[in-house]
Amino acid sequence: MSRPSTPSDLELMAHADGEHDDPELAARFDGDADARAKLDAIQQLGELVRGHLELSADDVHDAKFAAMWRRIDGQLVAPATGLWSRVSAWFDRYRSHVITGAISAGAVAALALVLRPGTTDLAAHAIDVRPVAQRAAPEIDSLETPGGSSTVISLADDDSNAAVIWVTPDESDAEEI
Amino acid sequence: MIERAVHRPATDRVRRPRRSLAVLALAIAAALAAPRLGRADVTAECDFIEFSATSGDKPAIDGELQQLEKKLKKPPFSTWNQFKLLARSHKALAKKKPEPISLKNGSATATLVEIVDKSKVRLTVTMDDAKGKQVANNTATVEAGDYVIYVHSLPRNEGHLLSVSCK
Repeated sequence: MSRPSTPSDLELMAHADGEHDDPELAARFDGDADARAKLDAIQQLGELVRGHLELSADDVHDAKFAAMWRRIDGQLVAPATGLWSRVSAWFDRYRSHVITGAISAGAVAALALVLRPGTTDLAAHAIDVRPVAQRAAPEIDSLETPGGSSTVISLADDDSNAAVIWVTPDESDAEEI
Repeated sequence: MIERAVHRPATDRVRRPRRSLAVLALAIAAALAAPRLGRADVTAECDFIEFSATSGDKPAIDGELQQLEKKLKKPPFSTWNQFKLLARSHKALAKKKPEPISLKNGSATATLVEIVDKSKVRLTVTMDDAKGKQVANNTATVEAGDYVIYVHSLPRNEGHLLSVSCK
């Protein structure tokens, strides 16, 4: 049986990276002190490089996260110093809610106006002006003429009816006038 | 850092405005409906014409009294032949709310008592002379378009008249 040959540098690197875990190759490393020393050196160097990269990655992540949160915080808590800027910031944030609310309010108001029972404006103000022929003569419900006497006369023509309330002052009052 | 995002009260920010917007919607609806209730008050549109009457050589009736002209040529008004407009006003009378009527001679108030059968108005009118003495206090029910004419007979065959008509 011949002595196992010395592993090549390529085989050393592959084994150190875990890409080549052949038991025969491992046996060859065990039997070769130089190869074992090289393999240990490569593995240590690899550990160093990986450790450094991981630490760098951590630093990068922290910085990135910090910047990201600063941006998010800046957007969420706007630098609202005055009342107007706070109001406008509120509207910026809830614009869609405000529009939705306004549209809902309009719809509710329209429904309320349409469905509300009771008289309409026209009905409240409208007094029917009937043709003269169908009108009743004016009725005097009560009449007081202090300091004078009164006579009520009804007039009618084809334009309209009229009640004439003729007040004649008493003689003493007439003298005053 | 990541926990901060998880615990952020994002849901509060969304829910609170929705609740307040619902209240806002109701408030707007109420505000829009409220004036309508106010406008539904009963009113009557009334014209008040104050004019004087005398006798003269030539008949003369003011142009603005044209709507009364036919009546003014008949008794009892035919004792006069000159009629002159003194003041004219148009008022929207609200139910049971006395409305002052400005006159050139004296003063008057008018109150809409009610609307009867949709075609008549029941009105209370008070009329005072220039000295503040009450001439007449009258409640009458009149068809829309018809008149109540108050005549205060004065010395020297003169008259002070107030015509009221509502629609």
